Amino acid sequence: MRWWVRPLVRLVAALLLPVAVPAIITLLIWALPGDPASIICPPESCGGTEALAARWHLDEGPWGFFSQWMMGALSGDFGNSWRVLQGGSVAELLAEAAPNTVMLIGLALLPVILGAVGAASGLIPRKVDGPLYLIGLVPALVLALVVAAVVQLNFGAGSSDPEQLARLLGGALVLGFADGAFSGAVSGVRGLFESENRQRYVSIAILRGETPLSNTLPNVAAALAGQLRARTLHLLSGTVVVEVVLRINGLGDLLWGGALRQDFAVVLPVATGFALLSAFLLLVQALVEILASVHIRRSPSLSVVAP
Amino acid sequence: MMRERRGAILLAGVCLLALLLLVGLAEDHLPAPDLSLSNAGPGALPPFGADEKGRSLLAYAAQGASVAVIPAILAGLFVGGFGVIGGLLRALGWSRLDSWIQGISEVVGALPRMVVLLVVALILPEDQRGLLPIALTWGALATPGAMDEAAAVAERLGGARFVEALKAHGYSAARIYLYHIVVLNLRPVVVRQGAEVMMQVVFLEIAFSYLARVESYPSFTHPDSVSSWADLLYLGYPSLAFWEGTTAHALGLGLGLVAFVAVVALSTSHAARAR
Repeated sequence: MRWWVRPLVRLVAALLLPVAVPAIITLLIWALPGDPASIICPPESCGGTEALAARWHLDEGPWGFFSQWMMGALSGDFGNSWRVLQGGSVAELLAEAAPNTVMLIGLALLPVILGAVGAASGLIPRKVDGPLYLIGLVPALVLALVVAAVVQLNFGAGSSDPEQLARLLGGALVLGFADGAFSGAVSGVRGLFESENRQRYVSIAILRGETPLSNTLPNVAAALAGQLRARTLHLLSGTVVVEVVLRINGLGDLLWGGALRQDFAVVLPVATGFALLSAFLLLVQALVEILASVHIRRSPSLSVVAP
Repeated sequence: MMRERRGAILLAGVCLLALLLLVGLAEDHLPAPDLSLSNAGPGALPPFGADEKGRSLLAYAAQGASVAVIPAILAGLFVGGFGVIGGLLRALGWSRLDSWIQGISEVVGALPRMVVLLVVALILPEDQRGLLPIALTWGALATPGAMDEAAAVAERLGGARFVEALKAHGYSAARIYLYHIVVLNLRPVVVRQGAEVMMQVVFLEIAFSYLARVESYPSFTHPDSVSSWADLLYLGYPSLAFWEGTTAHALGLGLGLVAFVAVVALSTSHAARAR
């Protein structure tokens, strides 16, 4: 396989993902038994189903609904919530939630990246892998419950700034260590560098007085980017549990609320938001792959001296 | 080493049997309340004590097992089975199909799993809600990784050249593929992958049920009349948050069951390790 095929596939996937996700969800809405308007507002229990269907473009079929939604989304208008905050602007809900989730993921990535750096540099010895693996077995829910209890014991059930900060930091700690996030980063990066360090060119580089890391890094950069993307996706997955248990107003909490209450108007943009984050990660990985491949394939600038 | 392995096989077998036994004990409804046994400890109502209405926690544990165990095992088998297929495809040297699978795994793995699961849970009609479709979706999302890892094992083995070499020894196709490739070489990987998925599905069920319970909504994974292991954690949470000892036994049982499932997964993986 040519070197550019994988990055190209990722680029195409990154471009398609934010469109494909809402398209699939729209198709699923119409795949459900019964017409979408009656699902949201059953005629026997709520009046004005037809008016609601017209307001939300549900009477125009899947393509009409999707195209209207996409046009609105491109101009920042995601419509109104059906059930989570009935009639409330989804754009406002997203604007409140997205920064919290981005901050949570950013903080949770810190231990993961530190673990990866520690494993690559040998600062984290192999003998701690066993205990780390056992810590990683703890599910996010259990760890989140412990952190929620600690926050409740120290701050009560209020919503003051210090309490919110404590919830955010606690959530990041849970995401960073539960479900094998930290231990996976350590063992994954260590395994990668160990197998690369066994290559002959590394031995030759050491004989030439060079450091192994400067030689192996360009070759493992693409794989490292892949691992980092997988870990970030894993953290994004975990936000649902952590945000609900720790009462952090984030995208995961919003997605859970939307799914639980069958609020497609909320699920659609939140899932698209997650798709955008995934697309961004795919783009970063593709970019790293391209840069690493170009760097590796660049001819060394050696001057040939006649004997 | 051999003794350690035998111990792991025994532990995995006993634990699985205990879980299935718990499933067998499950009844359709929780027992009738008996307020005289409200929050009774394990001493007053063996083996695990009672909830605030005096209902045995054993019934909770059994109902939770009936919700989670069978779908989890099926999801584990699903992933393990596809792992075997991934390894065999690499051994057969069907590179085009192999590339397609890698491409699909890129696309499938591009979204956070929880987003996909919640969309699946969302579209399930209320009368068809249950853990099995969610477990199988989780399995399907985990399958590309399992196939990839199994394929890497087959690759390290020599792939199609390994098969050719064994054919040259006169071995039958069944012996080569089923015994040498699957039993001797793919077994540790696919069993570990299956066991991990099994554990993850149980944890997922607990998480989904707990989150739904927190918001007083029916769970995606089981009918309202049935309890989940998440209910034990929910019952026991006040003992963690407010240091009230009255429900600590429920929390202990919930955490114990979580640990028990982890032990099952670990011992199963250990038992299947290569000699």
